[in-house]
Amino acid sequence: MYIFKNAFKCIGRSLGRNVLIGIIALIIAVSACIGLSIRQAAENAKTDTLENMSVTATISYDRQSAMNNIMEDFDPSKQEGGFDREQFSEIMDNAQSLTLEDYKKYASAESVKDFYYTLTAYLNGTDTFEAVTTETEEENDNTSSSDNFPGMPGGMGGFSGGFGGGKNPMGGGKMSTGDFTVIGYSSDTAMTNFQNGTTSVTSGVVFDEATEDLNCIISEELATFNNISVEDVISISNPQNEEEVYELTVVGIYKSSESNDLSGSMFGIGQDPANKIYLSASALQKIIDASAEADEANTDSDEETAIKGTLAATYAFADVDSYNAFENEVRELGLDEAYTISSSDLSQFENSLRPLNTLSSTAGWFLIVILIIGAAILIVLNIFNVRERKYEIGVLTAMGMKKGKVALQFLVETLIVTMIAIIIGACVGAVSSVPVTNTLLENQIASQQQNENNIENNFGRPGGPGGDMPSMPGGFSGNFSDIKNFDDVFDSTANYISEIDSAMNLTVVAQMLGIGLLLTVIASAASISFIMRYDPLKILANRD
Amino acid sequence: MSILSLKDICFSYGKVKVLQNISFEFEKGKIYCIVGKSGAGKTTLLSLLSGLTNADSGEIIYNGKDISKIDKYKYRSKYIGVIFQSYNLITKFTAAENVVLSMDVSGAKIKNKKQRAIELLESVGLDEDEANRRILKLSGGQQQRVAIARALSYNPDIILADEPTGNLDGETQNEIMAIFRRLADEGKCVILVSHSPEVAKLCDICYELQKISKK
Repeated sequence: MYIFKNAFKCIGRSLGRNVLIGIIALIIAVSACIGLSIRQAAENAKTDTLENMSVTATISYDRQSAMNNIMEDFDPSKQEGGFDREQFSEIMDNAQSLTLEDYKKYASAESVKDFYYTLTAYLNGTDTFEAVTTETEEENDNTSSSDNFPGMPGGMGGFSGGFGGGKNPMGGGKMSTGDFTVIGYSSDTAMTNFQNGTTSVTSGVVFDEATEDLNCIISEELATFNNISVEDVISISNPQNEEEVYELTVVGIYKSSESNDLSGSMFGIGQDPANKIYLSASALQKIIDASAEADEANTDSDEETAIKGTLAATYAFADVDSYNAFENEVRELGLDEAYTISSSDLSQFENSLRPLNTLSSTAGWFLIVILIIGAAILIVLNIFNVRERKYEIGVLTAMGMKKGKVALQFLVETLIVTMIAIIIGACVGAVSSVPVTNTLLENQIASQQQNENNIENNFGRPGGPGGDMPSMPGGFSGNFSDIKNFDDVFDSTANYISEIDSAMNLTVVAQMLGIGLLLTVIASAASISFIMRYDPLKILANRD
Repeated sequence: MSILSLKDICFSYGKVKVLQNISFEFEKGKIYCIVGKSGAGKTTLLSLLSGLTNADSGEIIYNGKDISKIDKYKYRSKYIGVIFQSYNLITKFTAAENVVLSMDVSGAKIKNKKQRAIELLESVGLDEDEANRRILKLSGGQQQRVAIARALSYNPDIILADEPTGNLDGETQNEIMAIFRRLADEGKCVILVSHSPEVAKLCDICYELQKISKK
């Protein structure tokens, strides 16, 4: 007990030296507090979001993996050229595209909370019902069929189901689009743009779930363009056979806040959000089936004219753990290794954390450097302190105070000074960590965005939405029919976590105390070793 | 019966022999003076008696026990009180705090240590105001008194003092010696190390150390 009393007395009687030690410990404490707070904020942002996050995932054919396999088997001594496109086409032709039954089978996995799908087809307009376009009639004349799909990179390996069942692997295949993107939804849940509020019905109602009736909803722009109102009937045709016409009843008109920047892009006018027609998946399947029957019945031409549907299935999970369990479950249910499971939600989430994680990592290194430098300074100060107080140590041990107790008193003195500095540092850190973190985060985001823009500029491309396809990350497995996913990817910079609310918590306080103890022990270790080596008689004799 | 005795003590600093076959007996109630010329080993003998160093050979017996076999820290903090030539006080503490610290180190169970320290300091001639002064604010004679009070703080059987009057004027020297006499009368064994013949005269028994000649 008297050791603590003496320690307090000694601190008070050597205020100058202890204030100096305290200031250094305070600088370390504030820096450590901010560093730890940043790391904690990153951790909190991750765990909090993950806890509340419902994850959706898709299954897609892993074409990149298939390409890699081909490249691994490639023997330059025996084969000429590079990548064997023919072999790749063969593999892709043999690849079985997943059917709706397959998707439903995998939906039976325990981890799946919800399952829905969309069916997408491209159809043309008719004389009475035309797509919204800014192009002239001549330019637009039946050109929605874009022959060679240009520049589709291997990185697009994750198309769900693929166009034509994933059998048009590279740009060489013919690919048809139409004036309209006709999307069939399996359920209301599948209508993500209605769920998230980017699209809403302004007149009429949305068609019933799973109805086979050919009821649809169209955009306000399209309705105005064609002078259509609710209950009117519209006609759309097969792009490969314009005589094949289907009539749909408009049951609702929707308004979308989606950008229409893609109008007139390489995807054709069908990709303009205004030219999207929504109906139930069952209804669209009915059209596709009817078209297939018509194609079979048409014996005049060998050319396949049936409307092709693209299936995109989405699995929803209650949490990330369920998503992680899903892969094992579907593999057990027979999903081939050639297919991958990916979640754009998780990718976007991880992307949104990038600046904070970078900052967190930087803060971690900064913390280590500060602790090393701080500990070194404290060690030196403590050694000076012990040498300066050598006589006092000699007197105390000559009086019969054990060296261990003398060392303990010195340790307690350092601990008291360090802990006071840690407490003040924690208070200063608590007040300043949030604004400092937010400012650093802002700079980090600005720097990251600047960096991304610079890269885009170096490539001569404008940054932002609607950027060129090659900038898309490999393995993007979003629903191709739902263009919003593209926006999400291109817009990802805007979704960075740019602000934290509170960084200090009990964990940080505990870590601060840990740092205080660690610094005390490290700083005192050297001085204690000096104390233990001192011989009181020599100290006192030398003084005499 | 002797409280402390030296039996054939030998000590050397490297190859230089300082003490050779020293055998002394010390009893309670008497003042002893160890005299000798400079370099005769007076302070070395005091270091041996106070347990700050060990003899090369021979035994130092305290109350029937060889001090080399008992805890030196306990011996120093409980059984003997040492008054060093240069007092060896904690200069950043007050006189009273030095005395209290000594009580704390010895583990003495005293209720009001501060009050007891002031009483002890008063008994050696320091008033309360002086008791609450820092050491460096006190004169040499006052510091000597503080050192005596500190040595008495845990009521040891033996008081060892190295040149206790060396830095003091004649009047103060007499006052300090009077304190030692009082302590001896109270039953303590007082051992002084001095080269002063005047101090030796005031002691009951004198032991003389001879400087060992180099051969």
